[in-house]
Amino acid sequence: MSSPDTTLQKPVLPPPVIEQGALGWAHANLFSNRFNTTLTVISLAILGIVLWSSLRWLAFESDWTVIATLSGRLIMGPYNTESACPGQDCFWRPQAALLLVTMLLGMGWGIAGGGLTKRYAIGVVAVLAAFSLLPYGLDEMGMDVRLLLLANIPALALGWFLARHTGLGTARWLAILAVGTFVVTLVLLRGVEGIPGMQPVSVNHWGGLMLNLLLAVAGITLSFPLGVGLALGRRSRLPVVKLLCVLFIEIFRGVPLITLLFMSQTLVPLAFPKDFPVNSLMRAGIVITLFSAAYMAENIRGGLQALHRGQTEAAQSLGLKTWQSTMFITLPQAIRNVIPAIVGQFIALFKDTTLVFIIGMQDILTYSRAFIQGNPEFIASAQELFIFLALVFWIFTYSMSHISRRIEEHLGVGRR
Amino acid sequence: MAVIPRGLNYKGIPLWRHTQVIQGALQVISALVAVSLVAWFFLNISGAIRDRDIPYGFSFLSREYQTPIGHHFLPYESSDSFLYAFGVAATNTLLVSIVGVILATALGIFVGVSRMSGNWIVSRAALVYIEFFRNVPLLVQLFFWFYIVLALPQVREGHVIAERIYINNSGISIPWPYAPNLDAGLLFIGLAAIAAFSGLTVHRALVRRETLTGVNSYPVALGISAFVLVAAAAWLFVSVAFGEAPFYVSTPEPQGTFGRPVGGFTAPGGLIALLVGLVIYTSSFIAEIVRAGIQSVGRGQSEAARSLGLPYMKTLRHVTFPQALRVIIPPLISQCLNLTKNSSLAAAIGYSDLTNVAVTMTQTAPAVSIFIMIMLAYLAMSLAYSLVGNVYNRLIRFV
Amino acid sequence: MKGRTAIILVAIMAGLFALIACEEEATPAPEATPVPEVESRLETVMDRGTVICASRDDVPGYGYLDANGNNVGFDIDLCRALATAVLGDPNAIEIRLITAAQRGPTVQSGEVDMLVRTVTWTTSRDAQWGNYAQTMFYDGQGFMVRKDLGIDSALDLKDASVCVTQGTTTELNLQDFSNQYDLNITALTFEDTDLVVAAYESQQCDAFTNDRSQLAAIGSAFENRDDHVILPETISEEPLGPVVPHGDEQWYDIVKTVMGMLIYSEAYGINSGNVPSAETGDTVVDRLFGLSGSYGQETLGISQTAAQDVIRNVGNYGEIYERNLGAGGINLPRENGRNALWADARCTDCPKGGQIYAAPLR
Repeated sequence: MSSPDTTLQKPVLPPPVIEQGALGWAHANLFSNRFNTTLTVISLAILGIVLWSSLRWLAFESDWTVIATLSGRLIMGPYNTESACPGQDCFWRPQAALLLVTMLLGMGWGIAGGGLTKRYAIGVVAVLAAFSLLPYGLDEMGMDVRLLLLANIPALALGWFLARHTGLGTARWLAILAVGTFVVTLVLLRGVEGIPGMQPVSVNHWGGLMLNLLLAVAGITLSFPLGVGLALGRRSRLPVVKLLCVLFIEIFRGVPLITLLFMSQTLVPLAFPKDFPVNSLMRAGIVITLFSAAYMAENIRGGLQALHRGQTEAAQSLGLKTWQSTMFITLPQAIRNVIPAIVGQFIALFKDTTLVFIIGMQDILTYSRAFIQGNPEFIASAQELFIFLALVFWIFTYSMSHISRRIEEHLGVGRR
Repeated sequence: MAVIPRGLNYKGIPLWRHTQVIQGALQVISALVAVSLVAWFFLNISGAIRDRDIPYGFSFLSREYQTPIGHHFLPYESSDSFLYAFGVAATNTLLVSIVGVILATALGIFVGVSRMSGNWIVSRAALVYIEFFRNVPLLVQLFFWFYIVLALPQVREGHVIAERIYINNSGISIPWPYAPNLDAGLLFIGLAAIAAFSGLTVHRALVRRETLTGVNSYPVALGISAFVLVAAAAWLFVSVAFGEAPFYVSTPEPQGTFGRPVGGFTAPGGLIALLVGLVIYTSSFIAEIVRAGIQSVGRGQSEAARSLGLPYMKTLRHVTFPQALRVIIPPLISQCLNLTKNSSLAAAIGYSDLTNVAVTMTQTAPAVSIFIMIMLAYLAMSLAYSLVGNVYNRLIRFV
Repeated sequence: MKGRTAIILVAIMAGLFALIACEEEATPAPEATPVPEVESRLETVMDRGTVICASRDDVPGYGYLDANGNNVGFDIDLCRALATAVLGDPNAIEIRLITAAQRGPTVQSGEVDMLVRTVTWTTSRDAQWGNYAQTMFYDGQGFMVRKDLGIDSALDLKDASVCVTQGTTTELNLQDFSNQYDLNITALTFEDTDLVVAAYESQQCDAFTNDRSQLAAIGSAFENRDDHVILPETISEEPLGPVVPHGDEQWYDIVKTVMGMLIYSEAYGINSGNVPSAETGDTVVDRLFGLSGSYGQETLGISQTAAQDVIRNVGNYGEIYERNLGAGGINLPRENGRNALWADARCTDCPKGGQIYAAPLR
């Protein structure tokens, strides 16, 4: 701030600097001193150049037809191809699963009663409904596909209604139904032998963003309890248990996921009996889960270590058993304290699902690259493709971190 | 001690509720489960190896590798052994990770400090940078940078700076010292280390004198001169002893039909894409760590410094940052470890790092053995990082 | 990580090394006694209802995704033929997509029933990976360069940077070639074909080496095909064919027989349009299609009329070639080349100039 020399010889002060309005804001935040002004000018110049060249590229050089051509297959992968689902249309199955998820979202909205959940629920459904109105795409999307997409709106409403006007409107029911939905989704996608319209689809044909999301959801739900177990095991007083947990954690944390996946491809078939039913989806899920659990364990251990000893001692003096004090006193506090780290690990897990290309799974990244290779007229559009994929991932991961920040605020982390 | 009433029915704590028994049993059981699981895997693997004639063992290590390695920091011929080739690849990974860690830390601190800047544009730009790059899978980013590097002009039309530095989509070639006589080179490097040490000693002694007496002693200038003096003497000594200078500078020069620069040091395009991707991705995490660290330092510290008249940058350098380091270092180490492990994605964009070369090795060598070697190599690297981190942590701990 | 953990980990690492070292010494030569087979691969496949093939989806002609996202190509069709012979359904296949470098470990693991991914037959691979069933395509390694470099021989590639796919025989041959002629070639290795192509097109490397047919296939998709030229030298032999895992003779024989069916029926002029379903009087054809006699179906464990299903659904060798590699695909000429048939079977002395030949089915 300017600090005028106020001596008797100089009674006349310069007019005060404006500190209000747009000009005042600009002065305070952009031009408060010489250093700041230089910074502003330099960064404006850099920003200008970056913006200018990217806008020029967007307007004149980029060609996004590859996205439109891939369209639905980015989401579905090879799921609806002739070889995956010969002689019939399997498109409705992932869509039906999606309807269930929207219903859950609606229930979440009904239970939370607005706020963030409401905004996300409405946002998701609005995007889905907008998809159904696209002029092209989604594998020459027929009327049935469009209608099923539009059906997400009533599904959301139904979920909301169920939460508000039936006995299902509790968090416990939501959790039960969420697990149920996951199971139903898997059954729907996999199909059942002998039921018309439900012809089995090999997991090798599951792909696209659907695969990334499935792996992420499964990995997150499984790696969390496993991580908690490992963290507790690592703090256990039993030396053998502790040693085993330490070994597990350090080995899985010390080796890159890509190497672990390679190993699962080549060593797992050797390490299990000949016909041990492990398909590539399960294998990917297991490796990602174990890898993530090792990291999760370290995060939760951090939270446990940060807890004051008094908490356990108070629990003990109240006569709580060890498992009771762990379950009800230490763990909840520890987890609450490390929510950002845990969500960070969830995000990392979601990002890591792109690595399943190593075991031949066709996630969104692998599948679109394979498409470019098979149809070389699109090879020149690789940059557009990767930018688009980056945006897709960013939307999901950013929402995750946004939600986590809101949960933190809600729980009052750092304010208690 | 509580007095246990010796009633008629009391027969001591039943065995199944005795804490020590339970704990002991738990340990034995878990140990048994773990051991039998490992044994089961082992039996299965050795059975499969027998049934399907799968090669195994480590006798291949001394065989000639006979496969090209795209880029190598250590000298490599196709007639070198598997073991040496593995070492060459491990060195690639190690050097990539060291350079990557240094650059990512520097960039991360820069972005993290920018994020804390009072300048709205700068702090917003840093926020966008952080939120974008850490939320997009590294693999996607690597592919993107791969194509960006390809979009540079090709080697025969590339940029040339001062006829010494060549920048094109095949890589960046710069002048680089080389030692015609390896012994002389190594000797000089050893002597130069001594020179650096003596320079540091002089610097430290003068700083000490300055703080104690207040007499201006020019520690930096004199320290550097001490280093230069000793190094020059070493150069002279080695030159006389071996009859030629220990190092020459080799300048890259386009040669042959294809005009590819030969000589100097060339960082290939794949390495550049890998480094850029890794550094940017990791720096976005480090920036957040740095921000959290700076925020963890009490507000009073910087206010006190400001009231002493220290300008912003000096406050940061001498007051806030040193204190923040204690919070920053542990997560920073784990990020560096992540960078090392993430460098294995090089396989996807064609840089010959450890994983890439090792996977190629599985063509001509037993896959089981190769994977054991990769695991051990990465575990060793993460151990090394943890050790460095622990030592550093101990050094900067509050007394 | 605490210091103690570090010590423990070091101990474990040392232990692992010791374990492996001991294991290598302690286990003498593989035991001679045959291990009782729990279940033959044929039974496994029958129970599973699909044939699992390791293949690719990145090279037009051999294995790629068509515009509808289906796996198609020469290699995929070979897998379909096997599935039809064993299960009667050309769609009962599961394609496991792998990179070139993963081929060895994948087939060694025995997890796939067949590896058809442009695999070159070499003795060490035959010994280490699995059994080579039949050469289905004769290829040789070549180089592609841009015309404007003015090169007309691979020997001019002195100090060049050459793009190559990781974990292939091409990578190894390139090294041999460079050593032999002292060319000091720098190899740029990529795991995936799209990156190889992108790097070559943007001139990160001066030349692109691969099997000649794949060069042609990939090159045919280039924007300005005429700006590129394939150099005349062929620096290696690349006989390509399917590989089956070690350890099941019966399955190996089935795959060989099915490959033979495809070639043999072309030699006898039977294609998907004229597969006989009743005796024709031609004993060889009748035997092949299970109408009289036998070529060992019972021993192999496949249906009497397996060939009928295969040829009807997938076509004979010639049809598969035409569809994927010939006029219907990447347009590699076949007449008078090495991939023409050895001889016309209905004629006593009519060599066709090629090398495609299978053991007679009888």
